[in-house]
Formats: sequence, C-alpha cells, structure tokens
Amino acid sequence: MSYKIAVTSSDGLQIDETFGSAKSFIIYEVADGIYRKLEERAFREEGTDHDGISVADSCNSSGNCKTGGGCGSGTGGGCGGAGEASEKVELISDCRCVVCKKIGFQIQKQLERKAISAFDVSVSVEEALEKISHYFTRMDNHESLRVQK
Amino acid sequence: MAKLLDKQRYKCALGAMQTVQAITRAIPILHSGPGCAQKLSDGTGSSGYFSPNIFPCTSINEKDVVFGGTKKLETTIENALKVIDADLYVVLTGCIPEIVGDDTGEVVSRFENADKPVIYASTAGFKGNNYIGHEQVIDAIIDQYLERSEEREKGLVNIWADVPYQDLFWLGNIRELEKLLAEIGLTPNTIFGYHRGIDQINNIPKAEFNLLVSPWVSVGNMQKMEKKLGLPWLHLPTLPIGAYETSKFLREVGRFAGVNEEKVESVINEHENYYYYLIERYADLFLENRVINKQFSVVADAQYALGITKFLANDLGLVPAKQFIADDTPKQYREAIAEEFKKLNFNLQAEVVFETDSYKIHEQIKEHDYHGYPLILGSYYEKELTESLKGNYLNIAWPVQDKVVLDDFYAGYTGGIRLIEDIYTVAVQRFN
Repeated sequence: MSYKIAVTSSDGLQIDETFGSAKSFIIYEVADGIYRKLEERAFREEGTDHDGISVADSCNSSGNCKTGGGCGSGTGGGCGGAGEASEKVELISDCRCVVCKKIGFQIQKQLERKAISAFDVSVSVEEALEKISHYFTRMDNHESLRVQK
Repeated sequence: MAKLLDKQRYKCALGAMQTVQAITRAIPILHSGPGCAQKLSDGTGSSGYFSPNIFPCTSINEKDVVFGGTKKLETTIENALKVIDADLYVVLTGCIPEIVGDDTGEVVSRFENADKPVIYASTAGFKGNNYIGHEQVIDAIIDQYLERSEEREKGLVNIWADVPYQDLFWLGNIRELEKLLAEIGLTPNTIFGYHRGIDQINNIPKAEFNLLVSPWVSVGNMQKMEKKLGLPWLHLPTLPIGAYETSKFLREVGRFAGVNEEKVESVINEHENYYYYLIERYADLFLENRVINKQFSVVADAQYALGITKFLANDLGLVPAKQFIADDTPKQYREAIAEEFKKLNFNLQAEVVFETDSYKIHEQIKEHDYHGYPLILGSYYEKELTESLKGNYLNIAWPVQDKVVLDDFYAGYTGGIRLIEDIYTVAVQRFN
C-alpha cells in the first residue's frame, strides 16, 4: 500500500517553513517503506487585493487567480479554521500526513477531520521521511514500536 | 487468543503518581499521553495543593512517538521547576515513551544541579501494576536521592505499610502504627500524609531500622535500603487488626528494637483492657448467632485479605471460607503468604486463591456453601454479587464507591473496633 507525505521546505533539504507561510508542498510517495519524490504542488493563494499589492507570486505568474475570497469572505481559505477546510488543506487532502516547521491549532483540527497527521518538527527532510515511513510501516503491519535497549 | 481481564482491582504502574502525591509537597511530572493522570486519579481525596489535574505532563502525541519526546520532557521539567513550588519532583514515565525508547534517565540527569531534587521512575504500565509502581517510586528515592548516613538516631524507626490511595485507609493506618510505636518509646518516621515530606525522607537513613508491615509490597525496597543505606529491617507480613495481632505486633517490634519488655507489656495491657471491655459489653451481640454470618470471604489485596482474615478468625471466631488475593502478587511471594493463612487460632486454616479476574472470583464465591448467607468484604465489584446471594457486604478495598474514608483506619486495637463496628452495622441492618 502506498501513501503520500506532504513536506514544506524552501530548499528540499530542511523542514524550514511553517504551514501558513509555505507556498508549496513537496509530495513524496512511500511504497513498501521506500520513499521517492513525486511532485511539487504550488499553493494558489486567492487574490485578496484587486490592486495587486499582496497577491502571491504564483498567482501573478499563472494568471488564473480566482477573485473574491480571502479572509472572512465565507469562501473558506484565509485564517478561519472552524468552517470548511482551507484550500491549502484541500490541496494535500490525499496525503497521509504533512511535515512542517510549525502549524496552527485550527489548521491541525482541519487536518484531523480529514485524518491527516501533522508533524511540526525542525529536522532534515530525509530524517523526517525516514522516521515517518518507519513509523507508518510498523503501524500498517501491526508491529510494535518498541525499541530494544 | 488475547486474554481479557474482567474488572481488575489495580491500575497501571503510572498509578504510582498517587504515591508521590501522598508525600507532602512532592509532585509527579508525567512523561505520558494526555489523560493518563485523569484516568488514574481517584475521585475522592486527591485534590489539594497538588492534584492530578495540575500535574505537569508532556502530553505526548503522535509526533513524539515518531520523533521522540525527550525535548518536550526537558522543557516540561524545566518549566515545572520554574512555576511549581515543590520540594521533590518525581518524573514518571507512561507506556508510550518507554516503548519508543525515550531516555528519560538521561534527560533527568541534566537536572542534577537544579535547586530542588528531580528523580525519575520508569512506571510504564506494561512493567506491572500500581503496587509495583509504588515500589519503583520508593526505589527511585533510595537510588537517586538518599545517601548512607553515619549518624543514627536512637529509637528512630521507618514504617512502611500500605500503598497510598490504593489503600482506602492508608492515612489512618500509618498514623495508628506510628502511635503504637511511639507508645512503646520508639520514634516513628514515615513519609506519607499530612506533615510528612522531604524532611521525613531525609531522616530515613538515620533510622535504626525499617519496619515493613505488608505481605509483599516493598520487600524489594527494604532489601535495597539494607544494601545501600545499611538499614536492617523487620518484616511483619500481617497488618495488625484487633487485639490478638496488635499485641503480637508490639511484642515483635519491641523485641527487635530492644525495648524493655515490661514497658511493652504495660502498653499492651492497657490497650487490651479497654479492647476487651468493649468486646465484653457487646458480647450479647456477638454471641447472638443469627446476627452474623457463619462464614466469610475477603476479596482484596494481600495486605487486607491476610489482615482481615486473621482478625475475623482470631478475634471474632468467624470461620473463613475461601479468601481471594487480587493484587497480582508476584509468584515468588505467594507460597509464604498462603502459609500465613494457615496460622490461625482455634486450629483454623483458610484456603487462599491468587486470582485477578473478578469473573472467576465471583464464580467461586457463588459455588461455595457458606452455610447461610455469606459475609463478603471486598471491593465495590462484590456489592451486586453479595446482594444476589443475600449476604452482608462491606467495601474495604479498591475500587471504592460505597464508603467515604477521610482518616478512618482498621489497624491496631482501635482499628479492630472500627472494623467490628462497620461489619456489625451492616449485619444489624438486615434485621431493622
């Protein structure tokens, strides 16, 4: 059984971005305990300002930004956590977990509702993937996590 | 096939947080999942200066399982030292950090130079129940805190008895044992309950000897203290309840401590006179054979099963049916404990069963012919069963739902009288 892990990293080596500030997710696929990079998913932030002052880079370059939306406008997204899942959460809804430097409480709740685990750690991408895939492999095979000292 | 245990009468080793709580101004720091302390705390008698709801806890989650929780543990200890004014900090580990291999000892060792002592005990649930956890906490105090003392205080005796909170009467019992020792001229030292804390712990190595009143709990602790602190120890397996055992208890302690025999006898005499004055006054009640049950069973830990069986047989002349020890007594102690049940007066012997599964205990009680309605002294689990057998029931062991005990006790002469009061209160209610 394979599954996907979403990682936030500016350089692909260190987990150095928070969930909120990350512009993209690197998606890894793990099959039989072995992980490989699958793709990178850019987050298309909704334009919050029609004058283009704070529109995200990805938005400008791709040119197909949705208009409207933004914080508190009722379309999801932004800082609200209680309502529907944010688009960022939707973007990784097929992943089993997400690894980032820090993550907010509300987003964590949203992820929980989709049964996506969140790991907020400051380690290398490699270490995170090693440890997480080891953990999930043990869990999937109903093996003990017990460490023999 | 996995085995299910029906209605067990103990908690996991992390339940030893209550042992820590019983030491005044000592606080447990839990390296465990969130909710452990909530589940393990008993509803009554556990609030106060520190209560399970405010015990510092690492509240470890999935992330700590994958990446290790030692960093969280370090900051939790660090901050506990900052914001909680305690005399002793005892880090206790739950199952999860033990399974995933967090090196708690290493983290705790970083606090060697803290202003207050920080020690740790690995109380993972899979290592045993809270009786074992209790021993582990005392072991931690011996290993990591106490030092051998050259100075000995004449007549100072450390008393060790029941497991706090697990035993409903722990506070009253230990005070009563203290009182009895003081009466024969010794100075008792205990570490649990009101006004017993770090100062009493510091006094442990200065004692002349350790007195252990328990069939098996803390035997290991006594051996450890003998080795590390050079403290000899006297082991009295039976909790003295009532005149017969208490007088025996005082004589044995007196002999071991080298107390003048006349002194001991005069104390015994005074107590016995009053004790038998009471018994005599109520002899009509005791001799009225329709009041009390012909046979009784105790379902409790080894401490109470043994103590109460001896009391009811020796002092009240009741006939023991099967007795049940439900504390998962380690195998190496069982034979000696079973032998104790054969040493009853009037040539009586009691059969004892070591069983943790309440279903099996209840089946055996149902099968037994009590020659009338039974008297069952046990935990709350026996209430419904005894009702169905139309017997008399008294809640004396954990879990307790049927009794509120602040500092009542069954130990000693007075304790025996209290137990008679409790049993006969139940018995006479049947007729009124």
